[in-house]
Amino acid sequence: MDAFVLDRLLLLAALWMSLTIHEWAHAWSAFLLGDDTAMRLGRMSFNPLVHVDPIGTFLLPLIGIPFGWAKPVPVNPTRFRQEVSMDMGMLLTAAAGPISNLVLAAVAITAAIAANSLGLAVPSPFDLLLTLLVQLNVILALFNLLPVPPLDGSRIADALMPESLRPAWDSFCSLGPAALLAVILIPGFLGFSPFGWILNAVLQLLP
Amino acid sequence: MNKTLKALLIWIGVFVAVILAWNFMRDEPREWRAYEDFTADVEADRVIGVTLHPDQLDVELLDGSSYSVSGSIDPEMAGRLREQEVYVEWGGGDDEGQGCSALFMVWGPVLLIVALWIYFMKRMGGGAGGINAFKLLKSPARLLEEKATATFADVGGSSAAKTQLGDVVSYLRDAKPWTDAGARVPRGILLEGPPGCGKTLLARAVAGETKAKFYYISASEFVEMFVGVGASRVRDLFETARKNAPAVVFIDEIDAVGRRRGSGIGPSHDEREQTLNQLLVCLDGLERNQRVAVIAATNRADILDPALVRPGRIDRRIIIPPYDADERLEILEIHARGKKLAADADLKTIADATEGATGADLESMMNEAALLAVRRSLAAGVKKNIEITAEDLEAALATRSERELAFDRLDMILVESASQMSEVTGRARARFLLADGSRAEGEVVWADAAFIKIHTGDGSRILAKSQIAAVEALAGTEAVGRDDLAPDQLAGRVPGVG
Repeated sequence: MDAFVLDRLLLLAALWMSLTIHEWAHAWSAFLLGDDTAMRLGRMSFNPLVHVDPIGTFLLPLIGIPFGWAKPVPVNPTRFRQEVSMDMGMLLTAAAGPISNLVLAAVAITAAIAANSLGLAVPSPFDLLLTLLVQLNVILALFNLLPVPPLDGSRIADALMPESLRPAWDSFCSLGPAALLAVILIPGFLGFSPFGWILNAVLQLLP
Repeated sequence: MNKTLKALLIWIGVFVAVILAWNFMRDEPREWRAYEDFTADVEADRVIGVTLHPDQLDVELLDGSSYSVSGSIDPEMAGRLREQEVYVEWGGGDDEGQGCSALFMVWGPVLLIVALWIYFMKRMGGGAGGINAFKLLKSPARLLEEKATATFADVGGSSAAKTQLGDVVSYLRDAKPWTDAGARVPRGILLEGPPGCGKTLLARAVAGETKAKFYYISASEFVEMFVGVGASRVRDLFETARKNAPAVVFIDEIDAVGRRRGSGIGPSHDEREQTLNQLLVCLDGLERNQRVAVIAATNRADILDPALVRPGRIDRRIIIPPYDADERLEILEIHARGKKLAADADLKTIADATEGATGADLESMMNEAALLAVRRSLAAGVKKNIEITAEDLEAALATRSERELAFDRLDMILVESASQMSEVTGRARARFLLADGSRAEGEVVWADAAFIKIHTGDGSRILAKSQIAAVEALAGTEAVGRDDLAPDQLAGRVPGVG
């Protein structure tokens, strides 16, 4: 046995934590706003297995890619409480996912700093896990905030879109996954990675 | 289990796995020494093994201890080590390329592709309601096991059909005499007859006689909700049969796809026609030397497409007529095999009393009699050597509803005479129990759908059938004089009066 298996296990654990929190946050926020669809489907749970997507949750970490996704949580905007408008509700439930990732990243940074200042900084799997958690959650939050369907950011954009821009937005949405692919690939081709910059800045915070 | 607890347990499991992996995978701490110690050990000939890493040497000593030094071996040192017969091995570079990781490197991509493939297959299946798109195109024909086939000895009656099928059997067994003579043996056979008359059994017998593979399919299984599936299944069926020749392909209820094309009112059924077209083409494709016989069965031969039954395709029509009394007796005897009959049980009387019954009816009747015999014997405390008595046979006959039976027997008197013209025993006499409780007895003069006219001793009387509660035949199988009656083709086919 060697470090390889440990790497993959750590990645799996960190990804599962991040994705579970993310999906739970969607379900929980929807529940608070009055839509119990996800709750009744058992998705308002910290059990990673209920959120699993075979590719995004198993395969990617196993081949070592520090990224992933889970099964989308269904939200029924017509079930929100009376005082919550459908647009507003969708915006809040969509934002809950990335926000939860940012919170988790902040918690991980704090934990790492605390452990360091308490002098617990012996090399341990939790050290590596915290670093991975920060990395993953920052990437996940940023990526999901991209205003491209089917990401969470598109739901936020959808709710905020002024009527004058709606036709353009709708035709952009109809591009579907192609738009997402373009957004992912084009910065890579142009040789610059805004995610990388932000990620590096955040990782500076770690002790 | 509590859901929260379950989630908690999963997370504990994940962390335990991580910690275990950490503990197992840390390299054991090594003692580091200066390079000079290594040279000194080599001088002293204390070294038995050296493992080379880039910029690192793992040294094993005679006394079993080991340590590492940084650096590498120069040619001079390598020569000395060789002299001292030190075991030198290459320990590889960094962690990659070793053990588990090597395994993952090799199998990872394969695993990935397999996983992706399974995932997308599942997706595809999920979209079509769980139907596997590839399995759909296979013919659902079932291959009958050899022990499930029959022989001609198992088929009672139908001697004409057996003779005609005998040609096919002989051809499938050995084609040479037929091909040498330049004869084209019909390999498409249409069995035609009322439900339950033994069409399937005859086809099974052909397979059994020839020891050929027997593919069984119901024509309605060809057509599915997706267009093109039917034609694909036909192709698959014929391909399989051809590969496994000699083979018998039995298509039951062929009217399901063989209905005349472009006829009738309403929109045409494209998928069914496409299936039929493919069937026609495949029948044409059976070349002379391919020992594949196609046997189709239907009870609606009149609606079949003319192209299907033209010479060269399913051209041999074998009509299985209703059985006469002798054939029924033969069938009953076949079904009585393996059953013990008491001395008083006479199958002949049963055969005589079951005009119009099909093979399936007779089989079910014999089975019923056996069931009754067992029930009766068990009630009497007998468990061995159970015999079917005449009483059981009678009771089995009587399981049909009383009123229906009564009319059947009246029909029997009238129809059997007309269809068979055998054993004239005089005019039919019957006793009627009427709904109001009175009785009437006399010779039956005529009957139609609603009324029966009888000659009583002192005149004639017309009875409404609806008033008759029960009929008992007293005598006679001949209601109409033999000489008065022109042979009526229909009479044999329609088991009813009027």
